[in-house]
Amino acid sequence: MTRPLRTAAVFFVPVVAWACYLFLLLPSVIVFPISFGTGGEFEFPPRAFSLELYRQFFTDAAWWGAMTQSLMIALMTALATTVLGLPAAYALQRASLPGAGLINGFIMGPLLVPVIVLGLGLYLQFAPWNLLNRDVSLFLSHTMLAVPFMMISVGASLRHLDPTLENAALIMGASKPAIFFKVVLPQLKAGIAAGALFAFLISFDEVIVAYFVTGPETQTLPVKMYSAMRWELSPVIAAASTLVTVFSILLAIGIMMLQRKEKQQ
Amino acid sequence: MNAQMKPPVAPSASSPLDKEPALAHLAEPSTPNAAASDAMIEVRGLSKLYNGVAALSDVTLSVGKGEFVTLLGPSGSGKSTLLNLISGMTTPTAGKILINGTDATTLPTNQRGLGMVFQNYALMPHMTVFQNIAFPLQVRKIGKDEIRQRVMDVLKLIQLEHVADRRPRELSGGQQQRISLARCIVYNPPLILMDEPLGALDKKLREGMQLEIKRLHADLGVTMLYVTHDQDEALTMSDRIVLMRGGKIEQQGTPEALYFKPQTVFSADFIGSSNLFPGKLSKDKGGLMLRCAAGAFDVPAADGAFVAGSAAVLLVRPENIMVETPADASGRQQIAATLKDTVVLGGIVRHFLETPAGEQIIAQELNQPNRARLMRGDAVKVSWRVDDGRLLPAERA
Ligand SMILES: Nc1ncnc2c1ncn2[C@@H]1O[C@H](COP(=O)(O)OP(=O)(O)O)[C@@H](O)[C@H]1O
Ligand SMILES: [Mg+2]
Repeated sequence: MTRPLRTAAVFFVPVVAWACYLFLLLPSVIVFPISFGTGGEFEFPPRAFSLELYRQFFTDAAWWGAMTQSLMIALMTALATTVLGLPAAYALQRASLPGAGLINGFIMGPLLVPVIVLGLGLYLQFAPWNLLNRDVSLFLSHTMLAVPFMMISVGASLRHLDPTLENAALIMGASKPAIFFKVVLPQLKAGIAAGALFAFLISFDEVIVAYFVTGPETQTLPVKMYSAMRWELSPVIAAASTLVTVFSILLAIGIMMLQRKEKQQ
Repeated sequence: MNAQMKPPVAPSASSPLDKEPALAHLAEPSTPNAAASDAMIEVRGLSKLYNGVAALSDVTLSVGKGEFVTLLGPSGSGKSTLLNLISGMTTPTAGKILINGTDATTLPTNQRGLGMVFQNYALMPHMTVFQNIAFPLQVRKIGKDEIRQRVMDVLKLIQLEHVADRRPRELSGGQQQRISLARCIVYNPPLILMDEPLGALDKKLREGMQLEIKRLHADLGVTMLYVTHDQDEALTMSDRIVLMRGGKIEQQGTPEALYFKPQTVFSADFIGSSNLFPGKLSKDKGGLMLRCAAGAFDVPAADGAFVAGSAAVLLVRPENIMVETPADASGRQQIAATLKDTVVLGGIVRHFLETPAGEQIIAQELNQPNRARLMRGDAVKVSWRVDDGRLLPAERA
């Protein structure tokens, strides 16, 4: 590259990059001020600061109920993902199972299939079993979506775990369960926590599959937001968006801190 | 937990410093190549194939109770494979392993009751030093008070009581390895396996640790099977050295036997430095002669395997070669050579010489204050006592 070209690049690349960031970020950021408007309708910029939309959000059972539903499903998904994903990741990494690659591919599969296809498939699957509009179908669907992320998170921690430690414990006479709980698990804590937060976040954010398998009684917050947008266009959605965004950012920071902590070890 | 493990020692006699009853049976002196009944390890026809390639082939070995045996050999010669087969980390393709008189070939690792020290220490990073050493005792369901007592006793033994509450990563490599030794001896395993335990330490520290391990071996009377690729370490520490090559035992014996009576060119070359003269044996003046590039050499009396017409190699250790021939030259082999270089290593002087035929010779002598200096390029006559040479069979190609 010639000198003036390089100077131009040094100048333009950050500008273009920032322009892209802003383009992506602005739509999310713009709901922040709107959410503090005075209610009634969307206004930007808001004429006065008020918590009216938040009051409506927390007093309307439809919104508040969707929020608690989301939190409960996300919590259950995070727990189930840990219980299922942790042993699976450990077994796939340590025990030389026949067909380990195939099993791994099967578990990671949902990452490769378009979510809309998964949603449709789950809908068609749950409908004849009469499981639509039930917590269990949502919980199962989200667990399936989130397990791969637990596998990735725990798998990364496991790769950093020296297998000699487990061998040493075995030679010292420890049983396999003792090795898992006293040697392996304590060293995977950060990875498990990050995986669980990931799972929580995925379930909490997920709208497509939830739209297919939930009904009026089991609506999650993202589904409620989506339908609110289509049918009511109520400005409360700005407050809901802000809450979801802040909550997601907090979780993401938590994941990042856990991952950094693990790197330091 | 299982029949193989020794029962926990009574709290009052738990210090490894005392010669307590639990250790007494280990403290008996034992002879190398002990008979089967006092063998700690008996390995018979042991083989391990990886994808059809032999990492270990048909190894038979016996280690006596209380013996310090070293597996020595170049990288890839199967030392770790043999150790891992004994610990149970890998399963043999063929053969039998007896530990302490019982067949352990298919016994799970955690029921073999062994101790092992690894090159990378293998200390648990999430536990303190105290918790690390307590771990094998907790596994054995020993009471809290006794655990505290025994852990502090071994920490005292290795003089690291002051680091009990630290994490392994806060310690130096040498300290970590001593902790890992302590974690091993705290539960009194009758047999301790060590896979290049000093490989990650610098030379000075390594020498100190060699002595410490020797001292523990003598104090505890425990059987040790030690792996190294460092010949000096093997010569310093072992009652017996087992020299490995390509998954087989090349030769075994005391350090002296391996040094002075190597049976193969590989053994001679691997242990100590050596001058090797390959040639062909011929009958001359009633005795055997070796015809090689540098000339025809008188050879020491050798057994019937060496006959005229066969290929052989003459080994002469550098310290047996003199650069000047003494007045009485009888019984000595003499050849002409040119001095290429002289290196003074403190108390030792090493001369590098070349014969007219181009063969390299190393001669070594003790340094003396008024040593006559030889100049590079000097023509000299080197010599050695014929009986100090050793005839070896030629390497199979
Ligand atoms: N898990 C394994 N898979 C395949 N080959 C192996 C494995 N472990 C060891 N080997 C091979 O077996 C041979 C002996 O290895 P090893 O016992 O580790 O040698 P050493 O400890 O003497 O350096 C080497 O050629 C090595 O490549
Ligand atoms: Mg090795």
